[in-house]
Amino acid sequence: MRYLPSTICPGSMNFADRGLTAWHLAARGQLLPSRLIYGSVCLLVSLLLLIPIIVHGEDEFSFELDEIEKKPLQWGGYAELKWEHMDINQGSAFSSLNLSDPSLSTRDRFSGSLQIDGRYDQGIASLNWTLKAAAQQDDLGWADMTDVYEAYVSIRPVPLLTGGLGKKAYKWGKGYAWDPVGFINRRKDPNDPEEALEGYITGEIDLIKSFAGSLQTAALTTVILPVWDEVNEDFGEINNVNLAVKLYLLYYDTDIDLVYYSGNSRSTRYGLDFSRNLATNFEIHGEFAYVPNQERVRLLADYSVLVEEVSATSWLLGLRYLSENDLTSIIEYYHNDAGYSKEEMDHFFQLISEGENQFLAARDDSLLSKAQDLSIKGYGRPQSGRNYLYTKFSQKEPYDILYLSPGLTAIVNLDDSSFSVSPEVVYTGITNWEMRLRFSYLGGGKSSEYGEKLNRNKLEVRLRYFF
Amino acid sequence: MWYRHLFKIAKQTIFLTFFLSSVWVAAACALDGNEILRQVDENMQPQSYEMYRKLINIEPDGSQKEFVFYTVKKGPDKMVALFLSPASEKGRATLRRGDNMWLYIPNVGKPIRITSLQSVVGGIFNNSDILRLDYNLEYKAEKVTDQGDSYLLDLKAKSPSVAYAGLKMKIDKTTLLPTSIDCYAISGMLIKTLHYSKIKDFGAGLVRPSMLETSSPLYKEYKSVMLFAKVNKRELADEVFTLNYMSRVDELR
Repeated sequence: MRYLPSTICPGSMNFADRGLTAWHLAARGQLLPSRLIYGSVCLLVSLLLLIPIIVHGEDEFSFELDEIEKKPLQWGGYAELKWEHMDINQGSAFSSLNLSDPSLSTRDRFSGSLQIDGRYDQGIASLNWTLKAAAQQDDLGWADMTDVYEAYVSIRPVPLLTGGLGKKAYKWGKGYAWDPVGFINRRKDPNDPEEALEGYITGEIDLIKSFAGSLQTAALTTVILPVWDEVNEDFGEINNVNLAVKLYLLYYDTDIDLVYYSGNSRSTRYGLDFSRNLATNFEIHGEFAYVPNQERVRLLADYSVLVEEVSATSWLLGLRYLSENDLTSIIEYYHNDAGYSKEEMDHFFQLISEGENQFLAARDDSLLSKAQDLSIKGYGRPQSGRNYLYTKFSQKEPYDILYLSPGLTAIVNLDDSSFSVSPEVVYTGITNWEMRLRFSYLGGGKSSEYGEKLNRNKLEVRLRYFF
Repeated sequence: MWYRHLFKIAKQTIFLTFFLSSVWVAAACALDGNEILRQVDENMQPQSYEMYRKLINIEPDGSQKEFVFYTVKKGPDKMVALFLSPASEKGRATLRRGDNMWLYIPNVGKPIRITSLQSVVGGIFNNSDILRLDYNLEYKAEKVTDQGDSYLLDLKAKSPSVAYAGLKMKIDKTTLLPTSIDCYAISGMLIKTLHYSKIKDFGAGLVRPSMLETSSPLYKEYKSVMLFAKVNKRELADEVFTLNYMSRVDELR
């Protein structure tokens, strides 16, 4: 708000209107000293109030050097609060498997999390970290976790060579929802693919070379990933040292990765991915992975369990398109040979159904225990089937409302036609705050992947503050 | 008759002379326009440099949203920008190599290909505004108009991959620096207008505007301001402008 002299001291405006000042009038003896003092005070107050306006006008936009000063220690992150309301899919296979109280029809969950990232630079070396802590309370109880997602030292003697040692998360692959060639990646959640993930303890050497001509860049990343007692135990078989290599090429304006993994913790695997802009608003990408001896746990019709080795390929083809009215569409098709067919999933759901009957009739939980074990080993994983379609549409700032992005995400299991669909709205208009409202609806018939999930739908409100 | 033949030759010679003169004049004009544009680029920044920029989005209610980023550029078509603030954007990096653009988000952990028209930060700036290459690389001069103390250049995009199909650039004759630029879509619609101001000496002979104001008829009551600081000539390795380097750009500061 701007304060004018007349607003503060109405009298002062009268002098100015006549082209006279209080000093002129005093000099002529037409003004009493008391009025002069009053006028002077008013003028002083007015000037003091005007100073911020004048200063603001002069330096309306400033760029101070301390804003860009680099400090050796940098850190930041976010704090998050989330409320979720879920309608339980009563009678579904996963509600029978995971809930002890079959009468539970809804669940409310409050959760909070904190992520702190940082780095400390010292000469050619830097220490990087990502720490995560989370806690939640819902109708089933309290749960919390703290974890070091990443903590590694990086040394870069020259721009074309970097060495690293410590716990680091890898995100290999070009897919948005899935990464078939992400041989040392953690599995990401297609509903939130942009979230940070926990890394593995590794040693890494990264070589980059740029060229003139059609091959513009070549980069070779070599990763040593040991699996020992209490070191990367969840990666695979212990007491092995594994090797993963990625060769990146920027060739004829196309990103190409050739990926190789070898080691005894998991079977050997080969991969290829690519990404290219076909037009300024149209990008295509794809991944292809081949695993000659993929171990697979399979439930047979007589409920016996078979551990088999199969030759499996998995691949993904996707596109990203930006329309003239700022609608971004991401569409991906994903095929996984090692996933379960509709018939195999049927056996699993029948096992749960019979296990429940057995438990109710004889308090015998052997079949339910077997189902729980199989759920962990593969049947209960997200997108455990063979063929999926992923679509995400997000509209940037509709109706010229800046920083507002409504979106819609859908994942369809093409084998059983079940699906999840999630409309959402994200608002980032307040600096360092992000608000997201999302509703997810799961649909599908009996013995289908999404038709047998624990929840029928979920409403989620998420608030994040970045610091 | 011989004089008819002579008349025919004379007519053809006059026509040819007129035609060649027109072509030469047109070529000379185009050359001048492109030369002016090249001079503008040279005056605005060195071929390889580092600089800091602050982008301020001003909304109709007067509230402001600020972004600070660090940029390095090498040669005509390699550029990377790293967001330093606000905290919600810190660590994001955008890389450009010619028509190829990538975005790196720390949480996502891998660079993804993006399009030049996509907005990285919201508001009326898009990727191309943040990762703009030299004007003479992306545009050619079609017409030069002498307006007394300034030139008006009509510029046309050299390829459809450029964010704006056409520009009308007003250039101060004395300094050969741009004062305003109208940016047009292929349909001829005015997308935004840029105003350069506050000429400042950045050192090493670089004297150029330190402020760029943007308004857009598409977002009538919104305004964006970009401030420039520490524009320095700097030579960098080509490897800095690669996907593997995007997570480490801050190490260059």
